[in-house]
Amino acid sequence: MTRRTFVLVRRSLLRIRGVLLSVGLLLAGFQFLLTQVATYLMRQSAYSQLSALVPDFVRTIAGPSTLAFMSFTGVVSLGYFHPIVIAMLVGLMITIATEPAAEVETRFVDLTLARPLARAELISRSLVILILAGGFMLGAMALGAWIGLTCCTPAEAERPSAALTASLAVSLASVMACWGGVALALAATARRRAVAVAVAGVTAFGSYLLDYLGRAWEPARPISVLSPFHYFEPLSLIAGHPLSMRNLAVLLGTGLAGTCVAYLVFTRRDI
Amino acid sequence: MSVEALPAIHLDRLTKHYTHLTALNSVSLDVRPGEIFGFLGLNGAGKTTTIRMLLDLVRPTSGQAFVFGMNCRAQALKVRSQIGYLPGELGFVADMTGKGMLEFLGRLGERAIDHRWQRDLLDRFQLSDADLRRTLREYSTGMKRKLGIVQAFQSDAALLILDEPTEGLDPLMQEALYELLRDSRRRGRTVFMSSHVLSEVERVCDRIGLLRRGQLVLVSPVAEVRQLAARSVRIQFREKVEKPPSEGNWPDGCEVVELAPRAWTLRISGPLGPIVAKIGSLPVEDVEVREAHLEDVLKRYYKDETAP
Repeated sequence: MTRRTFVLVRRSLLRIRGVLLSVGLLLAGFQFLLTQVATYLMRQSAYSQLSALVPDFVRTIAGPSTLAFMSFTGVVSLGYFHPIVIAMLVGLMITIATEPAAEVETRFVDLTLARPLARAELISRSLVILILAGGFMLGAMALGAWIGLTCCTPAEAERPSAALTASLAVSLASVMACWGGVALALAATARRRAVAVAVAGVTAFGSYLLDYLGRAWEPARPISVLSPFHYFEPLSLIAGHPLSMRNLAVLLGTGLAGTCVAYLVFTRRDI
Repeated sequence: MSVEALPAIHLDRLTKHYTHLTALNSVSLDVRPGEIFGFLGLNGAGKTTTIRMLLDLVRPTSGQAFVFGMNCRAQALKVRSQIGYLPGELGFVADMTGKGMLEFLGRLGERAIDHRWQRDLLDRFQLSDADLRRTLREYSTGMKRKLGIVQAFQSDAALLILDEPTEGLDPLMQEALYELLRDSRRRGRTVFMSSHVLSEVERVCDRIGLLRRGQLVLVSPVAEVRQLAARSVRIQFREKVEKPPSEGNWPDGCEVVELAPRAWTLRISGPLGPIVAKIGSLPVEDVEVREAHLEDVLKRYYKDETAP
């Protein structure tokens, strides 16, 4: 990272610090709350009853890992795959990654690129912020869960192992990286941020639905492999399966490809 | 070859085509070091496109641009380290303060900002510390323009590229800018400014280049351009005089605008001697000569596609 990239990173972080802190606090609070819900359910001995309530067709659609979710560990880990959390984090990644398009749209880029600053440094800046913001969010989630498990959970509760939490965090990070890379590529080609955000957002939402469709409806299964969310399987991690390197490679590979496209396009286009 | 001997800007058949538009068509031009060059043209003539190609924001379809001998594409970073740029459209971030913006842009530059020079610029444009502490959201158009001028000049670059620099400035601040431009010339800086305000170009520029529909149709010193225009001459008589017998007797370069019994109005290109000789025998009371303005010539170029 050059001195100028650092200057750009600092300015962008200062601009979005409010958003980052708010989202981080929200996620940490949600994780804390989950530990309390899990504790409550444990005290009520409700996990076995909840498992019995799951209809057969749901077990068929979602697979045996659904039952793994009906546990103290599963509820505490819910934050790592809850749709609202995923939407929030993917949305945050898209917002951060589309900063280059916003700078082109507002002509701020005319002021920065009139200095001896390589165009690639604007993409590098966004990449660094994506990594820092993603890391901060995962850190906030881990902190919220840790506080809840340390201060307000009975000692006999079966806490999620560090390895499980780490693999869930890596899995979620790879989803964020994937959509961050895709949004970065879109931002590098766009002249308006709204266009980049809309295309990335609709693509992400469509992909999420496609993955659901593929899990629920056999004929849609072959095309659901096109959705990045197809390679996000947190329940299998909770069920005790190891982190799939293939899934990780697909998600990180998509993010990396998007980032490479962003560098290539942004350094060649007219601004 | 020393930097001083090289043109500050050299455009070599610079061309830019968009899908349905030729923004710039084979423009070649040299701007000398230490001069103030006015780049003129109507809206859409290609002025901003040229400037954006100098800054490597827009890539030429063909041709090349050089700044102090350095290729604007291949050596873009070195080129931009020599440039102070005022965009026509200022994309300041609304939630930053004026001070924050100047510091941020200063840190992206090659050289550290000389704070005494920056203070001098802020004083010239009457931007106080209190103004600088305010967010840019609270700035008026004129204040943003003043801040834009300060950020362009604060690095004391060898080449200043200014896109419509007086747009939105009040007359006092326009004067401050003209003074700053003259000071910059005295200090050996080169100024390349686009404008469509002909009176300001006439006041501050040494030479002008005129773009029309992407083509450079005129490059000339301001004084020479002015000479191309006819002067307006009004001759007043003490008493009524007869009209001259025929138009054929008028000297070359003399065009009759109006012949009233006690006053004639003429437009004269070239020396005044022949007309003075012609009216020598008449009861002349007063002769008023209005010097030609740049505007008089350039309006012809703007309007007349067949102008030379």
